[in-house]
Amino acid sequence: MDSDLAYSAIRIATPLIYAALGGLLTYQAGILNIALDGFMIVAAFAAIAVAYATESLMLGVMAGIASAMVLAALLAVFSLRLRANIFIAGIAVTFLAYGLTALLLKGVLGQEGVFSSDRIPTFAPLRIPVIADLPIVGPSLSGHTALVYLAYLLVPVVAFSLYRTRWGLRVRVVGEAQDAASAAGINIFAIKFETMLLSGLFCGLAGAYLSLGYVSLFAKQMTNERGLIALAAIFFANGNPYWTAAVALLFGAATALSVRLPQVTGLAPQLLQLIPYVVTLLALVAVGVRKTRARNRHGAWRFEL
Amino acid sequence: MSTEALAARRRRASTLMDGLIRPVLGPILAVLIAMAVGAILLAAVGENPIHVYATLAEGGLVGWPNLSVSLQLTTPLIFTGLAVALSFRAGLWNIGAEGQMLMGALAAGILGYAVSLPAALHIPLCVAAAFLGGALWAAVPALLRVCLSVNELVVCLMMNPIALLLTGYVSARVLKAPGPTNKLPDILDSAILPNFSLFSQLNAGIFIALLACGVITLVNSATVRGFEWKILGVNPRFAHYAGINVGRNALAVFMVSGGIAGLAGAEQVLGVYKAYYDNFSPGYGFDGIAVAMLAKNNPTGVLFAAFLLGAMNAGSAVLQMTMGVSKYLVQVLQFIIVLVLAAQFSFSWLRAGARRRAASPQGEA
Repeated sequence: MDSDLAYSAIRIATPLIYAALGGLLTYQAGILNIALDGFMIVAAFAAIAVAYATESLMLGVMAGIASAMVLAALLAVFSLRLRANIFIAGIAVTFLAYGLTALLLKGVLGQEGVFSSDRIPTFAPLRIPVIADLPIVGPSLSGHTALVYLAYLLVPVVAFSLYRTRWGLRVRVVGEAQDAASAAGINIFAIKFETMLLSGLFCGLAGAYLSLGYVSLFAKQMTNERGLIALAAIFFANGNPYWTAAVALLFGAATALSVRLPQVTGLAPQLLQLIPYVVTLLALVAVGVRKTRARNRHGAWRFEL
Repeated sequence: MSTEALAARRRRASTLMDGLIRPVLGPILAVLIAMAVGAILLAAVGENPIHVYATLAEGGLVGWPNLSVSLQLTTPLIFTGLAVALSFRAGLWNIGAEGQMLMGALAAGILGYAVSLPAALHIPLCVAAAFLGGALWAAVPALLRVCLSVNELVVCLMMNPIALLLTGYVSARVLKAPGPTNKLPDILDSAILPNFSLFSQLNAGIFIALLACGVITLVNSATVRGFEWKILGVNPRFAHYAGINVGRNALAVFMVSGGIAGLAGAEQVLGVYKAYYDNFSPGYGFDGIAVAMLAKNNPTGVLFAAFLLGAMNAGSAVLQMTMGVSKYLVQVLQFIIVLVLAAQFSFSWLRAGARRRAASPQGEA
C-alpha cells in the first residue's frame, strides 16, 4: 500500500467523518438530516472569514461551529416546533446556506467565486512521537493536523455517549420508538433538539476543517455533496459510529484514488470526479437491497424516517 | 339589519376568503417575510434595502425589454416547477429536476444537430427525446424508491452532480464542437424554436410550457390517474388498501415528473442557446422547488410562482450589473420563502397554535 495514498485518504475522509458523526446522532434520534451540506458550507465560510479578520485559527474554528449550530437550531425550530417537513426544511436550509455564503462572499469579502488570502493562518502538522517511527504505517498516520486527529478521536466519544450513557439510551429510544419514549417521560423535543445542535457542532468542525485545514480557501458550494456522502455512509453502517467512520474512510480512499488516477490513465477529469458519487450511489443500492431482504413486505411501501 | 342577514353576509365573506384569498395568503406572507429578512441582510452588508428592491422590481418588470427577459427566465421555471409540484403532490420528493433537465437538454441537443428532418417533425422529435431523457434519468431514483425503499431525496441530490459531470464529459470530450467552448455542435435550423423578441431569448417554448401546464391541470383534476396520484400523496397506505397499485403509480408519476423537467432542457437548447452548452443552467431545477412550494403544487399556481421567480432572477441580473449586489440575494430570498411555507405558517396554523397551547404543553414532534 502506497503510504502517500493512505495519507491523503485519511485527510480526505476527515470532513466526511465529522459530517457523518453529526448526521449519525440525528439518525439515531429518528431524524434524517439532509442539511449537513448547508451546515458545513456556513461553517466553512464563517471559519475562513473570522480567521482572515482575526488571524486566529482558534477563533475561526469557533465561529464555524457557532454559525453551523445557529443554522441547526433554525432547522430544529422549523422542523420540530413549526411542523415543517424535515426534508423540505432541510433542502431549504441547505440552499439558503449556499446562497447566503455566496452573497456574503461578495458582500463581506468582496470576492466573486473563490476567496483565499495569505493572511489566513494554517494548521501545523503534528508529528506523533512513537507512531511516526513505525515502519509502514508511520508516514501515513503521522504528520496530520490537529483537526484530523480530533475527528478520529471523536468517533469513540460519540460511540460511548450513544451506547454507554443515559442520554445515549434516550436518543436511541426516541429514534426507535418515539411513542414509548414519550410514555416513559422522555422529553422528545429536547432530545431531538440536542442531537440537531450536536449535528451542527460536528458539521461546524467539518466546515472549518474544509476551509482552514483541508485547503486554505473558500469557494462557493465547496462541500461538493460531502454531507450526502456522509449520509450514505451512515445508512451503509446502519448508524454505528465505528462502522460509519470505516465506511467514510473507504469513501476517502476511493476519492484519493480518483485524484491519483489521471496521472496514471488518460481519463477525463469529469469521469474521475464521478467516482465518489457513483460509489455513494452503489452504497445506497446495497443498503436498499439489504433492507428489502430483511423487511417482511406487507404492503408498507413508504419507509418512515 | 337582522342577525340572519349578517350571518349570511359573513358566510359569503368567508367563502370568498376560503376560495380566493386564503390560498394566496400564505405565499404572500412568505414572500413578505423573506423580503424582510433579506432587507436585514442587505442592511448588514451595507446596502440600502429599499433601493435594492426597487432596482430588482424595475429590472424584472418595467419595460418590454426587461419583461421579455423575465418571461424568458420564467419558461424553464414553469417546466421545473410543474415537475416538482407533480411529484410533491404524489408525496414523492423529486428534487432532481436539475439533473433531469440536463439530461433532457443533452438528448435534445444531440438530436437537434445529428438528425436532419423538416421542422414539423424535427422539433417534436427533439422535445420527445428531451422528455424521454428526463424520464429515464428520473427512473433511477424512482426505481430505487419503489423497489428498494431508498430515500429518493438523497438519490436525487446525488444524481444532479452525476448528470452535470456526465453531460460535461459528453460536451467536452465525446461530441465536442470544434472551438474553445465546451458545447455540442449548433442545432440545425429545422430544430430551432422561433424567437419572438429582439431583447431576449424568449421563444415558442413558452407555449409548450403553457400547454404542459394545461395538460397537468387536466390530468390532476379530470383523470383517474391524477386522482390516484393525489391519494398517493395524501396517504399511501390508504391508497394501497383502496386497490391502487402504489409502486407502479409512484414510478409513473416520478418519471412523468422527470420528463417535464427534461422539457425545460429542450426549451433551453432549442429556444435559448441553439446548442447544448456545458453547465448552462444557473439552477433552474432547484428554483423549481421554490416554485412548487409557492404554488402549493397547483399547476395554475405554478405559472404565477414561476413568473415571480423568473422576474426576480431577471431583476437580479440587472441588480448585479448596476449596483454590484450579488445575484445570490434572490436564491436567499427564494429559500427563505420555501422554509417559511414549509412551516405551514398560515392563519390556520396561528389559530391552531393558540388552541394547541391551551390543550397540551408538548408540541407534536
